[in-house]
Amino acid sequence: MKTGRLPYGVAVLAGLVIGAGNPAAAAPFAYITNQGSHDVSVIDLATQRVVATVPVGRSPAGVVASSRAGQVFVSNPDSKTVSVIDMRSQQVIATLPAGEGAVGIDASPDGSRVFATDWYADRLLVFDLPVVPATAPPRSAPKAVALGRAPAGVAVHVSGRTVFVAERDDDTVAAIDVSTLRVQGRVRVGSHPFALAIDTARERLYALNVQSDDVTVIDTRTLAVLATVKVGKAPYGAALTTDGRWLYVTNQHDDSVSVIDADTLRVVRTLAGFGYPEGIAAHADRVYVVNWMDDRVSVLDAESGRTLVQIATGKNSRGFGAFIGAPMRP
Amino acid sequence: MLSKIARPSFGPVWWCLAAMAGLAAPASAHGPTRQKVVEKIAIDAPAAAVWARVKNFDALKDWHPAVQASPADKGNAEGSVRRLTLKGGGELVETLESHDDAKMRFSYRAKNEGALPVTNYTSTLIVTADGAKSVVEWRGAFYRASQRNDPPPDQNDDAAIQAVTGVYQSGLANLKKLAEAK
Repeated sequence: MKTGRLPYGVAVLAGLVIGAGNPAAAAPFAYITNQGSHDVSVIDLATQRVVATVPVGRSPAGVVASSRAGQVFVSNPDSKTVSVIDMRSQQVIATLPAGEGAVGIDASPDGSRVFATDWYADRLLVFDLPVVPATAPPRSAPKAVALGRAPAGVAVHVSGRTVFVAERDDDTVAAIDVSTLRVQGRVRVGSHPFALAIDTARERLYALNVQSDDVTVIDTRTLAVLATVKVGKAPYGAALTTDGRWLYVTNQHDDSVSVIDADTLRVVRTLAGFGYPEGIAAHADRVYVVNWMDDRVSVLDAESGRTLVQIATGKNSRGFGAFIGAPMRP
Repeated sequence: MLSKIARPSFGPVWWCLAAMAGLAAPASAHGPTRQKVVEKIAIDAPAAAVWARVKNFDALKDWHPAVQASPADKGNAEGSVRRLTLKGGGELVETLESHDDAKMRFSYRAKNEGALPVTNYTSTLIVTADGAKSVVEWRGAFYRASQRNDPPPDQNDDAAIQAVTGVYQSGLANLKKLAEAK
């Protein structure tokens, strides 16, 4: 394969993505959980069309698309399960029992583990995947880590060694050591933290406080609070653009999205025209915002914030988590 | 999601409206999930005229057939609190969260849901021009009254959706009638 003038890493990555099966399965997909229609809308990001609607459990909320595992994990709090979707067939290949009602969900970077918060039982569930990339779902029952009240968003550090969980009703974020499955630290944030987002390059964690309408910026190494950034009413989701410049935050009760300069931590613009925006994720030069009230995804230009196109989804769409992924070659 | 509130008292008027909505009742789910209602109506009257009827936070009594009184303590200022008294009994207390005259929309949040079998209720009313006509959208987001996994039928998701749907549909229908009257 000729790499031309492409940097080596880019060429390798492109090879991995393009080489993964037939062309239709090669492009990344967005997996949008629809809490009102109990399914997942699968959007092909290349064509910006819904290519599949996958029935899952009741009221799916959380989602993580694990490119390494080639699988998507969806929390169904009302069924007390996690659905596992195969990224190539876009079908559910397993349904796992998941405590009293899982909400937030994330996967380790190497695709070996999935972490889900058990909202009603105040704990974190840890699922081990058998092989990487997985061709079969996890076999054993999940391990559990006791946490504070109403654990919501979960985010795994890029090292795979630490998992952060927002303990909503305690106004704290817990850091859990993955090897010992123990809480190794805890930090007080704003009021009712729900979603979390990791900024790998800056070693930061962003906690979104739904009641105090702000974002707590935390050092992932020391758990020190670095800053608190005021945003709009009821911030529910955050995504860092692929180039790391902008942090996009959805403000559910303002029908708006705040764009924060990640270097200066200042809000540089507030975008209007959303409908109870919730889940948000970035890919390439785009940002995808899930509008719960309008049942659609807004595709934004990451640099300008301009809405380029809207894509209809199922009912009461949420997309709570890292919902974009592409299956990697085994 | 897990907020605890006093058990609401249900006004008879809302229940009639809920019955008017005539929704089917699918099987109920476990655990509270946020629900929504979006109702729209096309009105054969200019948007400015329709907005003039609905824009004042305390004007609900003038156009909603189930509302007896709707005084608001700070008019259309953010934080203004309005107390609804319903015809046939029941109360509701709501706080204005935003009001935009230029965009012809306002949003409010229930302080005490009272007559409605919902919790954590927020609502927005939007008037949009459609040539010389207009479209009014009324939308709400809420959780059901019961936080239990197995809610009684009068406090489940369907009860909440039916009640809010009834309020919106009857209000919008009457607004249309008033606005289109010659």
